[in-house]
Amino acid sequence: MLSRVAAQLYWMSRYLERAENMARILEVGQSLAMLSSQNGPREAAEAALEPLVITDTVAAFQASGRATRADQVAQFLAWDESHPSSIVNCIKTSRENARAVRGAMTAEMWECINDTWMGLMQRQNASRSRKPAADTAFFEWVKERSHLFRGVTFATIQRDQPYHFIRLGTHIERADNTARILSVKTRIQREGGTDMVDDYYRLGAVLRSVSALEAYRDTYRDAINPDRVAELLIFNPGFPRSLLFCTEISRQILDRLPQQSGRLARRRAAELLAKLQFGNLQEVYASGLETYLETFVKDTIALADAVHTDYLETLA
Amino acid sequence: MRKPAAPAGATRINTIVTVGIFNEMVSAAGEPRPHYAALDEWLKGISSETVQAKRNEADLIFRRTGITFSLGGEDGGTERLIPSDLVPRIIDSTEWAFLERGLVQRVKAINMFLHDVYHGQKILKSGLVPADQVLANAQLMPLMMGLDLPHQTYAHITGVDIIRHADGDFYVLEDNLRVPSGVSYMLSNRILMMRLFPDLFYRYAVRPVEHYPALLLQTLRGATLVEQPTIVLLTPGRFNSAYFEHAFLAKQMGIELVEGSDLFVRDDLVYMQTTEGPQRVDVIYRRIDDAYMDPLAFAPDSMIGVPGLAAVYRMGNVVIANALGTGVADDKSIYPYVPEMVQFYLGEEPLLKNVQTWQCRKPAELSYVLANLGDLVVKEVHGAGGYGMLVGPASTKAEIAEFAERVRARPDNYIAQPTLSLSACPTFVEQGLAPRHIDLRPFVLSGKTTTIVPGGLTRVALREGSLVVNSSQGGGTKDTWVLEAPEAA
Repeated sequence: MLSRVAAQLYWMSRYLERAENMARILEVGQSLAMLSSQNGPREAAEAALEPLVITDTVAAFQASGRATRADQVAQFLAWDESHPSSIVNCIKTSRENARAVRGAMTAEMWECINDTWMGLMQRQNASRSRKPAADTAFFEWVKERSHLFRGVTFATIQRDQPYHFIRLGTHIERADNTARILSVKTRIQREGGTDMVDDYYRLGAVLRSVSALEAYRDTYRDAINPDRVAELLIFNPGFPRSLLFCTEISRQILDRLPQQSGRLARRRAAELLAKLQFGNLQEVYASGLETYLETFVKDTIALADAVHTDYLETLA
Repeated sequence: MRKPAAPAGATRINTIVTVGIFNEMVSAAGEPRPHYAALDEWLKGISSETVQAKRNEADLIFRRTGITFSLGGEDGGTERLIPSDLVPRIIDSTEWAFLERGLVQRVKAINMFLHDVYHGQKILKSGLVPADQVLANAQLMPLMMGLDLPHQTYAHITGVDIIRHADGDFYVLEDNLRVPSGVSYMLSNRILMMRLFPDLFYRYAVRPVEHYPALLLQTLRGATLVEQPTIVLLTPGRFNSAYFEHAFLAKQMGIELVEGSDLFVRDDLVYMQTTEGPQRVDVIYRRIDDAYMDPLAFAPDSMIGVPGLAAVYRMGNVVIANALGTGVADDKSIYPYVPEMVQFYLGEEPLLKNVQTWQCRKPAELSYVLANLGDLVVKEVHGAGGYGMLVGPASTKAEIAEFAERVRARPDNYIAQPTLSLSACPTFVEQGLAPRHIDLRPFVLSGKTTTIVPGGLTRVALREGSLVVNSSQGGGTKDTWVLEAPEAA
């Protein structure tokens, strides 16, 4: 298929996944801010900044001149049109990519993404006098729309290259996101030491943000323990947002794509997958969780770059 | 001259005898013409409620299938439907046989003319077509000089605009040899009518048109000498008003819909960038004007073309359909000479008539035109889409005076024609059925052979009295039925 069309499908799904993840990050941020407000204003302010730390946007936020408060952070990441990765911009970009290649997807898929965009605009316009809501109900809506689009895609599109590129975008974006959310864990543990009750709420919030609370319970049937949270989100082969799972899916998809191109992408995916398949927590802690996750994010970016060069770039 | 005691209901106005114009459905005596009789009877039996219900259904089908006409711009609101009228336009088998022969003859002659212009220029030497008209024409493409095209085909796809005058004869209005559009409406009108009124198709043996994309693909395949060629449809992109048609045709033919940025030139060949790597392209069905095809050769600011394409074309390593430089033959200043071309190249009498045309570049004809602006239609030589023209009888004195200034300033830019009374066909309007003016655009496919799907696109001017049928000017379309020849008894 045409590289341009593949690229537009890939970015359509990456941006939709990014919007969903932004909603997840803001959700966990609000939970942590609420929990931290009991421990004094300094910690509350730190917790409020957490979504910015996760998304590498502290500097951009400060440049926007907003006050360091949880509600301002949420407004910035959800609705700020000058911020390229805000939810509103992610959905806009996703829908624009879809619009350009309507012919490459089913009518139902197009209608779903277009309705999402219209719904978002309604929410924005409905609150002209005050700020559009950036609350749990809104985050839930964003997640729901993203789930709906995936479901419609799953149910309607032919299993062919367009489908593969859509899924590849989702899983590369998702792997990156899980690694970033997990990095929160290292920061929320930095000071307090181990406090079972505190761990339960804070780590619980992290798990909920990646829909992993049930998976955790079913896997460990025990209290929430920081090591197991890391293990679940990094190494669990069956949890759909774990680093191993997302990387495995990316590798499988690359195997189904045309083999004339994609040598570098396949190699990077295989290397990254091997690290995860044959790794363990001891190894993670040896380098430090934060360093490990940073390396993973860099490796995923390198994989995405290879996908771009091999398949998606026009003009040879 | 109304037929007395017309029955009440939706059909009340349809039997009005139109004075001074040809009514496709009703004869001068007020009787339905034979091939319209069954439709007339059917229309009399249909209630206005049914009509409204069917129109709503049609709207829904069109919206759901995304058959829209984009007026450009970013957001969804600028897309609108081209109204599709539910009364078909019917052409009987004898009339169509004549039209078909006339069209094949005309398009053949035009292709021969184009080959001649870019090779020996025999017709210019003979003096039949004034050499300066051709050689100084902005549409002439020097790049094409001496270039040999497979089967000497220049206009692979032609959308000839035909009208029927008050005398009942067909006249060619324009030849449209560059990037004619509208065929997707011909196809979707048929799908719509078959879904809404299957019973009508039992009453009439209508010749099919649905195989047009297959014929087009066959024409494009035959346009190159390469076996198993890779064919693409080149579109300016999704903001183009005909983008829906580009996407529709590409999908129907199973070929890639490409934009300029998807193609590139390397080692004197054209490639498209795919996920399998670069893939060589042999035939480009382009829906982009000549000037934007290659920023290196033509308009340097074109963002929608392919740098270096013209050079590859010149080497014969890619086929472009229609060829570059076909505009020199459908320029309105060349149009008056098409009947001469038919005689010159084919030695035949032209079957289809031309509309009488005054060329303002000739002083005698200019003064006639200026003296009679109120009765004439004046058009720009290179204009299209119903823009930049004056319809004398429908214009105010001030508008005429203002237009006269423009003609005086640049007489060579204008031609004039008598105000033609386009024939009328019953059409659903607010008040029920009423005659509205129509034209016809058959699509002629040329190559080793010349083929035409029966009929074409019928456009209808929905405003009462209007003669402008262009979709950009509030026109609609109708399904066009060519009837099977009655079996020999």
